[in-house]
Order: sequence, then structure tokens, then C-alpha cells
Amino acid sequence: MTTLVEKPVTSAIRNAPGGSFKAVLALALFESRRLLTRIPVLLAFAVYLGWTLWRAGKAWGDYPALQDADRATQSAPMLVGLAVLLSVNQAALRSRRHGTERHFAVLVLPQWRRTAAHGLSVVAAALLTAVCVAGQFGREALRPAAIGHGSVSELLVGPLTVLLFGTAGLLLAGLVRSAIAAPLLVVFGLFLFAFFWGTSDDATRWLLPAVVEASSNTLPSDLMGRPAAWHALYLAGLALLLGLVAILVAGGRKPVVMAGAAGALAMTLVGGVAQSAGESPGLVKARERATLHPEQVQTCLRRDGSTYCAFPEWGPRGADWAGVVDRVRSLAGGSAHEQDLVVRQRIDARYGLSGDAALAPLERPHEVTVGTQWGGNRVPEFAAAAAGVLIAGDEKAANSICDGRIVPLMWLAVGWESDPLDALRRVRLDDSVTGSAYVLQPTHGLYMTEAQTEVLRALLDLPRDEAGARVKDHWGELTAPKVTAARAAELLDLPAPEGEDKCS
Amino acid sequence: MFLNRQLVLPVHRTVPWRGIGAAGAAGLLLAALTRTGETAERLSLYLLRAAILAFAVGLAFLLDDPARHTTSTVPTRRPVRVALRTVLVVPAAAAWWTVALLLVPPEVRPPVADITLEAGAAFVLAVAGAAAAVRFSEVTRPGRPVTGALLTTAVLAMLFWPGRWALFVPVEDERWAAAHERWGLVLGGAVLLGVVCAIEPLRRRVRL
Repeated sequence: MTTLVEKPVTSAIRNAPGGSFKAVLALALFESRRLLTRIPVLLAFAVYLGWTLWRAGKAWGDYPALQDADRATQSAPMLVGLAVLLSVNQAALRSRRHGTERHFAVLVLPQWRRTAAHGLSVVAAALLTAVCVAGQFGREALRPAAIGHGSVSELLVGPLTVLLFGTAGLLLAGLVRSAIAAPLLVVFGLFLFAFFWGTSDDATRWLLPAVVEASSNTLPSDLMGRPAAWHALYLAGLALLLGLVAILVAGGRKPVVMAGAAGALAMTLVGGVAQSAGESPGLVKARERATLHPEQVQTCLRRDGSTYCAFPEWGPRGADWAGVVDRVRSLAGGSAHEQDLVVRQRIDARYGLSGDAALAPLERPHEVTVGTQWGGNRVPEFAAAAAGVLIAGDEKAANSICDGRIVPLMWLAVGWESDPLDALRRVRLDDSVTGSAYVLQPTHGLYMTEAQTEVLRALLDLPRDEAGARVKDHWGELTAPKVTAARAAELLDLPAPEGEDKCS
Repeated sequence: MFLNRQLVLPVHRTVPWRGIGAAGAAGLLLAALTRTGETAERLSLYLLRAAILAFAVGLAFLLDDPARHTTSTVPTRRPVRVALRTVLVVPAAAAWWTVALLLVPPEVRPPVADITLEAGAAFVLAVAGAAAAVRFSEVTRPGRPVTGALLTTAVLAMLFWPGRWALFVPVEDERWAAAHERWGLVLGGAVLLGVVCAIEPLRRRVRL
């Protein structure tokens, strides 16, 4: 009698299609959770979020320009990136540290697939950073007075930095199986960026993850000249390249990985070369035109007789400027009360974002310069410029005022504010409300002597209507050239000033 | 005493010289960067501080001892063994520091005594951190977590250390002298921490 074996013995391992992919995904989920709960990563995210929330609104107040707000999201994620570099390196070396490498060898996942799972955990950290960046930028973009256009490529730099640093940590774990390598790389990372920021020139600075500009100028977004898209391509290619090389080093020498690495290398090279191409002749021409002949590209808005000309992106600001001009005019007496102004937005874009250039005052009558930033100190500065033009007739003449006319000028500039003393402090260069000081304006500034400050302070101490009436009653004499501070005080029925009354 | 002399060679063999050497090389590289140009010279103080941090990272691995649990029963007590390791590494650290200082061009070298105080404080803090990790846990290799803590502390201190008690000041700053009195306090605190933590507890903490 023979025993019939009903079924041949089959292997217990089932090779379900996509099984190892699922295993990589499961491991990636586990590693992501672990990576995001490491103490350095948690601390870095806490510091990043705390810093971002604390700074939110401080930079531009309620009037952000989105082409600047997108760049402001770039530097802080570097901290998260360094923490991710350290933590992912330690995670990749974990099985070796605990001597469990041999146990893993019998599992379905070879080492290169485990490396891929670690790489995916870095992607999770980058995605979390992307959410933070989107929140930071979205908050600025949702402000009612936000203007301009953000760039997706600029916003991508933060998450890509985290991705790049993370894959660098992963590759390092594959190359140097020692726990000391990653901390040393972090030390280099921390200080070498500061070092290269200081030394690099125009082309090589784009090799760093986040490229900071020297100037805090706000330019129209088409005149910025930042190769943001190429830079994002370069960063993405580099991050991908490092990650794929880490998989290759771990033994995943599959054709698809090699092809991917070659593609990533090509991306990096294309991005790296294209981003350092420099400024195109068209851009230089456009910048020159916007600087020297802004009227050719601006659109104008007429309101109550005055004209407000702005670069297209600043169209909505016209109403804010008109509000200030109306209030300044309402305090003026004589013909200035009815004088129509031309408010002209001006920039010096010829140096791009690499330098700040002071604007020369305009010489056309009744034309006032306004800058590209608004809110905070920019409001009383513009009000002072508008008041100067109302009194002196044109900006160049207003900038050379150096007599008692400063008193009605500054009264017009700050008298209408809800807290005139605070506005006065903000518009003066040294933040003082006594003594002599320079007064800031969109173009060149003014100089207030100690005596003029005394008279103005006395005027501001009066009830607002009373002070306004006194200024309007003597408008002609107050705004006559060469009037002294003492004479202005006498006209306004205020105590004579004791301080120095001499312009420097 | 005889026993201690016998211990020198075995302890020397367990000191992680390769890690310390790698950190030292990285530090010297950072210090040597000060010779690469004018901007680098301006940054010499920061590069030297980076070099100090790099070497401190290496020193955090000083108390790594995979055989820790087997040597806890030897008659030589832990303070002696820790002290022996420290004594072994001191000449190396001193030599490294001298070379690092000499790599910085003399005209931009920060005041030697003061910057040495900073270096000493950082180095002792790293070793004391490792001693604390050994004292309060059962880990055999405290280097890895301690470097993480050291780097985190360094970054947080540079970002958020209140200006009233400034530590990281530039040479021309008027707070330089006061800052180095505070560095002295940091050094003293680190030495104290290290001495306290080097003592072996009588009972092992039993985890239930």
C-alpha cells in the first residue's frame, strides 16, 4: 500500500505581487513616526514654529508684499533639516548599533529597501515642513492688504532643504558607519553656511540651499531676477541624487535606481547651470525702465483730484495713499488745502536685490514719491513727504527746507494720527521726541532743529482742533521761507523755544 | 597605585581614539579655513568656535565603553577609570588645541587665554555630559545621545541665550570680559558636574 501525498509541499513564503513594496511602505510609516518624534527633530520643529509665529506680522505688519513673504520662509527650515540629518543618520545606523543587522538579513527587506524606507521617512519630514511653510505664507497671503505674487519655487526651498539634509544624512550613514560622522557634518553645516554666505559671489551663492538677499527692498515680482524655479530644480535634483546614491550604496543596484540617479544628476546639473546664468539683458532693460521712466509701466488712479500712480501689483494701495493725502491736506491752510498732488511710486531696481540705493527727490511740481513698502513707519514718512510738497511746491525744494516751515510741515505729517507723538518718534531717525534729529522720507530726509522740535511738541500738546485752527489762521506766514522757529512759536501763540535753531 | 599603572594600557586601548581623531581632524580643517582669505579672517573667532564644537563632539564619545557592564565588578572604582581616560586624552586635547590656535593667523587670533577658557568649558562639558549619561542610565555608549544634546544645546544657546548673560560675544564687544567670567562659571559647573557624575552609585536602578 502506498501513501498518496495529496499535495506537494510548497514553500511557506508567498510572493504576493507588490508585497515588498507594501513592506517598504509599512517600514516607512514606522520610521516616519519614529523620526518625527526624536527629541532633536521635535525641538527643531518647536523652535521653528515658535520663531515663525513670534515673527509673524513683525516684518511687514498688515501690508505684506508676497514676493518678499515667500522668501522669508526659506531660512528657518534649515534648523529642522540639520535635526533631520542627525536623526535619520542615527536611525539608519540603529540596526548596526544594536547588532541586529543579521536578524534583518533573513527578512523580506534587503538593506537597500530599508534605506529606501528611511528615505521615505525624510520625505515625511519634508512634507510636514511644507505644511508649516504653507501655513506661514498663507497667513501673510490672507491679510486683506497683501499685494504682489508669491512664487511656488521660492516656497519649495524650505521643504527641499529638509529633504536635501535628510538624504545627506542617509547617504552618510551608508558611507561612514560611525555615529560621529553626522554630528561633525552638522557642525560643518552650522558654520560653513555662514562662512560661504560671507565669501561667495553672485554665481556660487546659488549653490547653497537658501539664498538670502542683501537688500530689504521690495521690487515688482517681474523685476526680482531670482532664478527661483531653476534653484528649486537644482535642490530637488540634488536631494533625489543623494537619496538614490544612498540606495545604490546600500546594494540596490537596480536599473531603475541607476536611471533615476542619472536623471537626478541631470536635473541637478541643468538647475545648477541655469540658475547661475546671471541677469538677462531684457531684465536689465526692464529694471532700467522701471527706475528711470516708471510712468511707462504704471497705472494711475484719480481720486479727489489727486493722481496715484503705482506699479500694477500695487494698484490696491492707491486707496491707502489717498487716505493719508486727504488727512494731510485737511490740516493744511490756504491754497495747500485744495492742492492736488501726483503720488508717484518709485523704485531703484537697477541693482536688483543686491543693494539699496537712495531715491533722488523729484523736481516736477506737486509730485510726491512713495516707496514699495507700506504700514508702520512708512506711513508717517510718506505723510511727511506729502506735507513737504504741499508747503514747498516740489520734492527737491521740500528736502532742502531748513527753517521754521518744518513746524507746520511736521504738524501736517503727524497731526492727524491717533497718537501723533508716537508717529513723530517713528518718523525720526533716532526714535526721539526731543532735541534735534533727522526725519526720514521716501527720498532724502529732513532735519529738525531742537527749537523746531520744542515748538512742534507744544503744538501737539494743544487740543487737536485748537492747534489745527491756529496753524490754518497763520498758514501764509508759517509757510513763508526763512521763518524762524521763534517766529513760528509767536504766530502760534506758543512759548518761545529755548533750544538751538540752526540746521546742520 | 600599582594597579592603576597596570590599567593604563588596557584603558588606552578602549579609548575611542578613532572618533576623537576624526573630530580633531574636522576641527583642524575648520581652523585652517581661517587662512583662506580676508572674509575667512574676519570669521576667525566663529571658525575657531566651530572647531571647538567639533572636537567637543569627539570628546563626548570618550566614555563609550562596550565592556562597561563587565568591568563594573573590577576592584578599581569608576572615578579612577574615568579619571584615567580623561588623563589619557588631556595631552592629546592640549596638543590639538595648540595646533588649532597656531593655524589661525596671529593678527586675527582671539585673546588666547579667553578662547582657551571657552574651549576648556566646552570640552569639560562634553565629557561631563557623557559622565552624567553613564551615571544616570545603563547605556554602554553614551556618546551618540550626548552629541545630540551637545549640538542641540549649542544651537539653542546661540539662538536664544539672553543677551544679559551673553556667552558668544565678538572680540571687540565690551561684554567680552564679563562673558569670560561667565565662561569660567560654565567651566566650574561642568567640572563639578563631571566629578559628581563620575561617582558610581551604590545600587543600580532596577527597572520594574
